[in-house]
Amino acid sequence: MTFALGVVPVALLLLGFPIYIVVLASVSVALVFFMNIPLAALHQNLFGAIDIYALLAVPYFIYAGELMGRGSVAQRLVDFVEAGVGSVRGSLGVTTVGTSAIFGAISGASAATVATIGRVMLPAMRKAGYPEKFTAGLITSVGAIDIIIPPSIPMIVYGMAAEQSVPRLYAAGVFPGLLLAAMLAAYVIWFARRNGIGAGEAFDRKRFLRASGRGIWALGAPFIILGGIYGGVFAPTEAAGVACVYAAFVTRFVYRELSWREIVQAAANTAFFTGQVLIIVACAAVFAWLLTVNQVPATVVGWLQSLAIPNWALLLSINVVLLAIGCFLDPLSAILLLSPLLVPVIKAAGIDPIHFGIIFTVNLAIGLFHPPFGMNIFVAQSVLRLELPVIYRGILPFLVIYLVALMLITYIPEISLSGVRWLLRVG
Amino acid sequence: MVDRQIDRAMRALEFVLAVAFCLAVVLNFVNVIARYVFNNAIHGADELQVQVLIAMAFLGAAIVQCRGQHLRMDVLANAMPHAIRTALRALEALLVIALAAFTVVQSARYTFQMYTLARTSDALGMPVWTSHLLVVIGFGLIALAALWRVLSGRPDVTGDRT
Repeated sequence: MTFALGVVPVALLLLGFPIYIVVLASVSVALVFFMNIPLAALHQNLFGAIDIYALLAVPYFIYAGELMGRGSVAQRLVDFVEAGVGSVRGSLGVTTVGTSAIFGAISGASAATVATIGRVMLPAMRKAGYPEKFTAGLITSVGAIDIIIPPSIPMIVYGMAAEQSVPRLYAAGVFPGLLLAAMLAAYVIWFARRNGIGAGEAFDRKRFLRASGRGIWALGAPFIILGGIYGGVFAPTEAAGVACVYAAFVTRFVYRELSWREIVQAAANTAFFTGQVLIIVACAAVFAWLLTVNQVPATVVGWLQSLAIPNWALLLSINVVLLAIGCFLDPLSAILLLSPLLVPVIKAAGIDPIHFGIIFTVNLAIGLFHPPFGMNIFVAQSVLRLELPVIYRGILPFLVIYLVALMLITYIPEISLSGVRWLLRVG
Repeated sequence: MVDRQIDRAMRALEFVLAVAFCLAVVLNFVNVIARYVFNNAIHGADELQVQVLIAMAFLGAAIVQCRGQHLRMDVLANAMPHAIRTALRALEALLVIALAAFTVVQSARYTFQMYTLARTSDALGMPVWTSHLLVVIGFGLIALAALWRVLSGRPDVTGDRT
């Protein structure tokens, strides 16, 4: 069984086989050669993993982001944030952080944010005299906030894999996301002051009101999504669907930028991405079921309990493992493959699974831009034509900031859990 | 010639999924209005949306397979010599055919069972075998796409997302 559930997936993963095939091969070998279970279990679990209404939130949020990422939405958001923080030294850098955070509250697709916000901010920051290395590092790393600030697709998948409430996870992600944004903005301001760049302009109320007017429809999306969920108006899936209609309405009728053809094209892109992701969700469900049937999580928990590791050391070890895995594996695959093993362990250690969901997400967010293989690095390289050595060197200070934030989020559960209490009014 | 036909068929399938998805979005919106404004949700609306989700997952996976764009961790594989990479991709295509064919057989058996038992869904009373059939079709198309790669002697070709 160790061969089927351990050796086969690791070997195929390292050989570069598609992740769904890695998992499907593992479960097929286990079912055919090592277990005496009707093979119908394969289909039942594959189908059962997708036949879930809550999972619809994944394509709906992707679609809302696809629609809002087209046209002038990014530019309008940038103008709005810049008009608000223009008086601060380093305002363009702060605008990059602020706009990415708002964009994250609309879509939650990190790579799309790097590309969309980067296209707008890179020329402006170059023109204002920001060092190329700093700009490259900021733009590449800041997109990772998007999967921490709700709505977050990895959190939906974690919620399913760990059987946790998605609204609670979303509420728990708000303060960690804002903490990261604040730390990044503080570093940008410190850097700008130290290097004498990005002098601010006096706050212009008229400019701010004009920018607010231009961006108000784009800013409405986060209010509908998050306000709808936290206000108890709709469930996350319904909020995601409403956000799609809102995004289509704004881009088609208010901004008049998208044709019907482009709206359907965005849906086709969503269908493609859904096929890419949900086939892994389906196969990973069979894998998780097999692990449970074979009592693997219980064995791991028993083994760790026998070692009597303190919680701080357990969390530190998990963070190291997740950071390493996040460099190579995309967040959704990592969550699906590791949750069945890690969640029972942290539950047995008395760690809140909602808090752990945020730790999990922050680790994988760092993996999105962690050298050498973080996905956002390659997005910045290909879309923004930034040089790889410049990105690598530029990322380092931002990586340190994210790691400090990760430690704070890991060891101060209140940063995550206070959001659940305040926003959802639960104890 | 065959490549062009496959590409055209996949584009058509993608378009059908896209339109179905747009309809699901509209249905969700109308249902939200009906549920929260008129306190009268549309019967079976959730079930119909999930049907679209199942189609997007399994048929969408077949489209991704045809274009050779499934998610993978290929950092190490890309560092290997060209000959080894080609051999690995050939091995991958054979493994995909075997696993997808195995899944088709298991899913087809289960689907046929649902058909013979005449099981229907809770909300709409639709025959449940139709949605299970999407798994069979999805993995069937995946197997065929991989088989075509092998037969055409290009197991290492990855498609372009256009």
